[in-house]
Amino acid sequence: MEEMMQVRLRLAQAYVPVQVYMQRWDPMKALSLGTIFPELYRPYYGREHERRG
Amino acid sequence: MYRDQLDMLKNLQALEFTAVDLNLYLDTHPTDQRAFQDFQNIVQQMESLRQNYARCYGPLIPSDAAHHATWRWTEEPWPWEIEY
Repeated sequence: MEEMMQVRLRLAQAYVPVQVYMQRWDPMKALSLGTIFPELYRPYYGREHERRG
Repeated sequence: MYRDQLDMLKNLQALEFTAVDLNLYLDTHPTDQRAFQDFQNIVQQMESLRQNYARCYGPLIPSDAAHHATWRWTEEPWPWEIEY
């Protein structure tokens, strides 16, 4: 706390942009990808994937 | 479970998933008319497919069991008995 005051760090501010409904995937594709929204599709690749580059 | 039955079940699950995702979106965007219409449309397709499934293969939810002549709820495979 003291250190924070000394360097005048700001507290964190979170910001989430508002989603606008544009299009969705068809139900079958959405089910297999885990979301109906293409803009929210962010597949997680684990460490194994990382190592391979 | 036969291929046709499994396909119908999968289509239903896909529609249900779409309804849930639209539900989540609508929770934070309650005035988005286009999303709501889409939700209504999906729910309509979902219900008609579910009723269709129930007619062909038996009830998926207890209330669908009321449309059969006898109590068939316990004849259906449990979810973990279905091989996808």
